[in-house]
Amino acid sequence: MAAKTQTLEDAPTLPMTEAAYLPGIAYDEMFTPEGEVRPHYDPLHGRMSTLGAEELAGRQRTLERSFLLQGITFTVYGAENTTERIIPTDLFPRIIPAAEWSKIEAGLTQRLQALNLFLADIYGDQQILMDGVVPRELVLGAPSYRREMQHLYVPHKAYANVCGSDLIRQQNGEFAVLEDNLRVPSGVSYMLANRDAAKRTFPGTYRAAGVRPVERYPDLLLSTLKSMAADWRNDPQVVVLTPGVYNSAYYEHAYLARLMGVPLVEGRDLVVHENMVYMRTTTGIRRIDVIYRRVDDDFIDPLTFRRDSSLGAAGLFNAYRAGNVVICNAPGTGVADDKAVYAYVPDIIRYYLGEDAILPNIETFLCREPRQLQHVLGNLDKYVVKAVGASGGYGMLVGPHASQKERDAFGEAIQADPDNYIAQPTIQLSTAPCLVDGRIEPRHVDLRPFILSGEKTIVTPGALTRVALKRGSLVVNSSQGGGSKDTWVLAEENGHANGHANGNGSVRP
Amino acid sequence: MMLARVADSLYWLGRYIERAEHLSRLSSVMLNATLDQTDSGTQAVWIAMAAVGEPGDGAGVGSFEAAEALVLDRGDPNSVVSSLARARENARQVRDQITTETWERLNLLYLKVTDARAGKEFSDGSANFLHDVIADLHLFKGAADTTMSHGESWRFMMLGIYMERAQLVSRLLEVCFAESPTHGRIDDHVALVSVLRMACALEPYLRVYTAEIEPRHILEFLVFDEDFPRSIRFTTAQIEQHLSAMARGGVFSERAGPERLAGRLKARLQFADVDELEAVGAGPLLTTVVNECARIHEAIYETFVAYPLETRLPA
Repeated sequence: MAAKTQTLEDAPTLPMTEAAYLPGIAYDEMFTPEGEVRPHYDPLHGRMSTLGAEELAGRQRTLERSFLLQGITFTVYGAENTTERIIPTDLFPRIIPAAEWSKIEAGLTQRLQALNLFLADIYGDQQILMDGVVPRELVLGAPSYRREMQHLYVPHKAYANVCGSDLIRQQNGEFAVLEDNLRVPSGVSYMLANRDAAKRTFPGTYRAAGVRPVERYPDLLLSTLKSMAADWRNDPQVVVLTPGVYNSAYYEHAYLARLMGVPLVEGRDLVVHENMVYMRTTTGIRRIDVIYRRVDDDFIDPLTFRRDSSLGAAGLFNAYRAGNVVICNAPGTGVADDKAVYAYVPDIIRYYLGEDAILPNIETFLCREPRQLQHVLGNLDKYVVKAVGASGGYGMLVGPHASQKERDAFGEAIQADPDNYIAQPTIQLSTAPCLVDGRIEPRHVDLRPFILSGEKTIVTPGALTRVALKRGSLVVNSSQGGGSKDTWVLAEENGHANGHANGNGSVRP
Repeated sequence: MMLARVADSLYWLGRYIERAEHLSRLSSVMLNATLDQTDSGTQAVWIAMAAVGEPGDGAGVGSFEAAEALVLDRGDPNSVVSSLARARENARQVRDQITTETWERLNLLYLKVTDARAGKEFSDGSANFLHDVIADLHLFKGAADTTMSHGESWRFMMLGIYMERAQLVSRLLEVCFAESPTHGRIDDHVALVSVLRMACALEPYLRVYTAEIEPRHILEFLVFDEDFPRSIRFTTAQIEQHLSAMARGGVFSERAGPERLAGRLKARLQFADVDELEAVGAGPLLTTVVNECARIHEAIYETFVAYPLETRLPA
């Protein structure tokens, strides 16, 4: 166990590192600014200190091999042939104390409940638009707004059955919401696979830490999906709809289908007949009640949405409209994770629940507002500017890291279409220890917990921690070379940890 | 109940697995037989190449080059590496249907044969390389047998394995004994032993017939033996058994198709004997097996996979 009174110079010098572990100006998950190990990291830090570089490298190799063997890979298309690579996975877990987690849990539950009420409202009477809380044109003009969903009944008003919100820890130690993902959020299989790996890599530390399990996710997902089926359907048939093996998240689709014990279907397996959806089986066709679709809105039904798509099934949306099948997440949920709507989420929470948001938003400027636009254009070197419709780290400018030329070009793009852009201050995501090239170094991380919502709303006590593996990089998306690591949510504060766990920021008000 | 597309993938997964094992074994035996400088080696090369549909005089191309192409040529859709890539692609399509244990055996093998170092490993020690590939395929089958539920998924895969095996063994025997076992083209002791090795049958054969290696006995063993898993009688009985088990689980009326065809083929073999083959040559029977397997294959598609929807929609 590491001594409590180490200084910044010697404390982080783990035996196997060539250079000291030097946290930057960002909040570090393991060390306080004074160089003390945060109490909830004590056991892991102690274990890290006893393992030599070779031992760590060996464990890292075992971990990577296990991912490769399991086929937890994404496909890289090259000129010669396509290859599969594993998602970079870091050995060391990220640890979150119980008290912090309860706040995250409460905040996410509150947020998703409000967003589901918002969706029910804008696809219903549109009271919030009439009251002027959110600009009407912002919602009705959003590309992800689906007129076809208007006045359609959704059980329990649960539009987003699976939500993956991205949280970051700011410099003051407080978590804030960076964005919500309400369409087809992915990454939950990595959360589960990382946990399996962490249990094998650090069994003793894991046991001693008292970590809350994440294993129930598949059965909670199944019961959430079943709770969406029409009441009169006995033992509803649930399926997972995938675009197929060439989709980068195919591993996850197959994984969830396997762990839920339900068929993994593709569009070509589906038949719509007289507004009922069937799948073609070896013993004839069989009715489907609930579709957990991992295909975007645009592709689920060529008759209603994109005509050139063969990933869904013709007539599927009409069957949904007729109430004969349930699509999860509901089409059109994307309008609530629109990056411009995001700025209004605290107001949305206050409007429907009469409460203040438990988890704050990041300060956001809407370029559609002329005064905010001028401010953003004048300070492009300070802000991260994002295209509203884009995701995966595309269509964005990281002002402080961009060249003047890049900023000028982006400035022109913003002026040409201001509605399409928002800006946020560059936030120093917190850092956590990662094994990089045989050394332990701080890397920026975010946090993607998963929230299920059907008859009930449930937050899984765990998350996918995404890691920006390049030194200093703030981009954690896997499409941009990011990796991931396991996240341990502790069952309770370990005695002495109380009151010290949060460094320079207190967690509970 | 399973998706028609999934049944299709599992069936082909089985076929490609069996094909990869067979080709690996042919290559291995061929390479081994040519280590000695004898005519028998040349005969073994001829048998192997003819059995994979590339007959020649066995002199044109070296046995090593021939084996290397048969195993590692990714451009050839019928090579071992292509068969394994296709098997894995099918397995990936049905990843939710096969157990992790089964998947991992196949994935491991795929990664091994597609690795950049595979070519060097093959040239450094082709015998070891092929031995390991065959052993890994046995592990795959063992994992499937002991971890997968022996329900519909497993049956479609087994059906693929036995359909492929029946055709491959028939083809091998056609090459060697189509005319007549006693007047066949293979008369040399070493070459005959190679044939048994290619069918993975040497040790089981010796236990029945001792070391008297005779064409008549080989034919009798590989066509009629009740217990040997690569005999044609055994494979067709398995095909019939899996199809009738699937038909029992079915809810449709026109169940006759593939099951009836398989039953007829099984009966045909049940009532043939080696004297008959000796009299007229093995050719007609072996051709019947190959043709009937093709018809069963089509019937499987019509019944389980590519049936017309109109017949199955609710009234």
